[in-house]
Amino acid sequence: MTTTLVTDPPRVPPDRPVLHTSNIAQTWAMSKRAILAMWRQPSLVIPSMVFPLFFIALGTSAFSRAINVPGFPEVDSYLDFALAGAVVQGVLFGSVTGATALATDVENGFFDRLLASPSTRPGIIVGRLAGGMAYGAFQTAFFMVVLLPFGLEIKGGPVGAVALVASGTLLALAVGAIMSTMAIRTGSSEAVQGAFPLLFIALFFSSAFFPRSTMSGFYATLADYNPISYLVEGMRDLVIGGLTWWALSRAILLPALLAVGGVALALRSLNKRLAAS
Amino acid sequence: MSIDVPSPVAPTHELNTVRPSIRAASVGLAKRNIRGIRRLPSAFLPALIMPVFQAIAFSGSFFAITQIPGFPTDRSINWFMPLAILMGSGFAGIGIGLAAIRDIETGFYDRLRLAPAPRSSLITGPLLGALGRSLVVTTLVMTVGILLGARWNDGVLSVVPLYVAGLGIAAAGTGWGLGLAFRFRDMRAAALMQLTLFIGLFLSEAQTPLYVMEGWLHTVARINPFTNILRLAREGWVGEVSWDNTWGGVLALVVISALTLWFARRGLDKLDD
Repeated sequence: MTTTLVTDPPRVPPDRPVLHTSNIAQTWAMSKRAILAMWRQPSLVIPSMVFPLFFIALGTSAFSRAINVPGFPEVDSYLDFALAGAVVQGVLFGSVTGATALATDVENGFFDRLLASPSTRPGIIVGRLAGGMAYGAFQTAFFMVVLLPFGLEIKGGPVGAVALVASGTLLALAVGAIMSTMAIRTGSSEAVQGAFPLLFIALFFSSAFFPRSTMSGFYATLADYNPISYLVEGMRDLVIGGLTWWALSRAILLPALLAVGGVALALRSLNKRLAAS
Repeated sequence: MSIDVPSPVAPTHELNTVRPSIRAASVGLAKRNIRGIRRLPSAFLPALIMPVFQAIAFSGSFFAITQIPGFPTDRSINWFMPLAILMGSGFAGIGIGLAAIRDIETGFYDRLRLAPAPRSSLITGPLLGALGRSLVVTTLVMTVGILLGARWNDGVLSVVPLYVAGLGIAAAGTGWGLGLAFRFRDMRAAALMQLTLFIGLFLSEAQTPLYVMEGWLHTVARINPFTNILRLAREGWVGEVSWDNTWGGVLALVVISALTLWFARRGLDKLDD
């Protein structure tokens, strides 16, 4: 007598999440994870939202009379002048948080589990960067919305405001990619956090808070060579100068070029890591 | 039959049963604190490097504020160097609180509390260490400032209020740092220690004089005692050394230091609960 074993087909629980099979779906899942991580740990992201606003509130009261000194561009208030610096400051600090999370994934082995899974490799990086971009866009819009009732006037109008958000988003991608390169290469969240003072120094040695035309000596030279000066000034043109092709190209093209370079570097670092393992 | 019972092993040296004086215990703890700089330089270097950076960055970035009509000095470094020194000295004091948290977390602080030294030495010892750190910070930042073009108006006398303000704010920072360390007993206190000092200093005459400010900051800075402390630190570098610029700052330092050190002592006593 023979016995035939009849088995039912495996039953899939109805609430089980659907496996992401396409590259886009996998990348989207990684982006969602990056955004959720920020949402669930507000203490990590709140400083990058609050500190730029604190500095701008401080500056608007402290430097209100400085806008009349020779060399200062024609602005209605220091608030208009300082918005771009606040956006760049917030995005720079927010990007460190995102890259630190990536380095933590490397440290605790989750990154290797992702690499071992049948998911798209670039999606692991691109997904996280997309999360950073979403946060950069949110930060830029948040700063504008919060400051509008206090007298902020964007000369570029609604299109200028949208261009600012796009610029903040691209900048978040660029800085996030560069910091992610560091995270992948070092695999150390401490090393990524260590870059924070460097970013802080780079920000202060730029025209983020005062125009280059009012600086002198070696400090003016440093600000002239600092790319952050040009990033800030591109965004600032949209706020205090209005919507021009020159302003748009500086606000969008410069961070876009940096983003292309940064993403290429990050993917190269990922490939190197894969080849080494 | 007799059994030889070995006599207890005699100690190789006499047990020290003498209770050390508060001075001896404080000096010992201060020395331990200063030695900690060499053993863990990463904990002290930011307190040393950041004020130097701040003096350079602020005086360069905000150079144009000296062109505001009536600004009390034509050298931005003269305006921002005392701010950087106060920030560095304050953080030197706060660093003592961070060191106390490390000791509490590792359990070493329990051993210190069990030692037969006067309880007050657990406050005065680290305080002496913080004052030593403040002297280092003030000397370094002032040297860099002078190299960058800071000039005193009242000769060497200008240096005295700067050191006094630095030492005073280091004492206040120590009291605040230790008090929070004893209450939180973990690194959650670190952010609160740093943020309060940072905000307290910046909501004062830190960046511009009172008459230049407008709106809410003017109101806050006018009643903020840190404005008086900054005025004390700046005299001799911005204007002349005078009693009018001195007494308010000294009084603010004495009151804040006394309150924060009392806060620390209360926290230390509550550690036993």
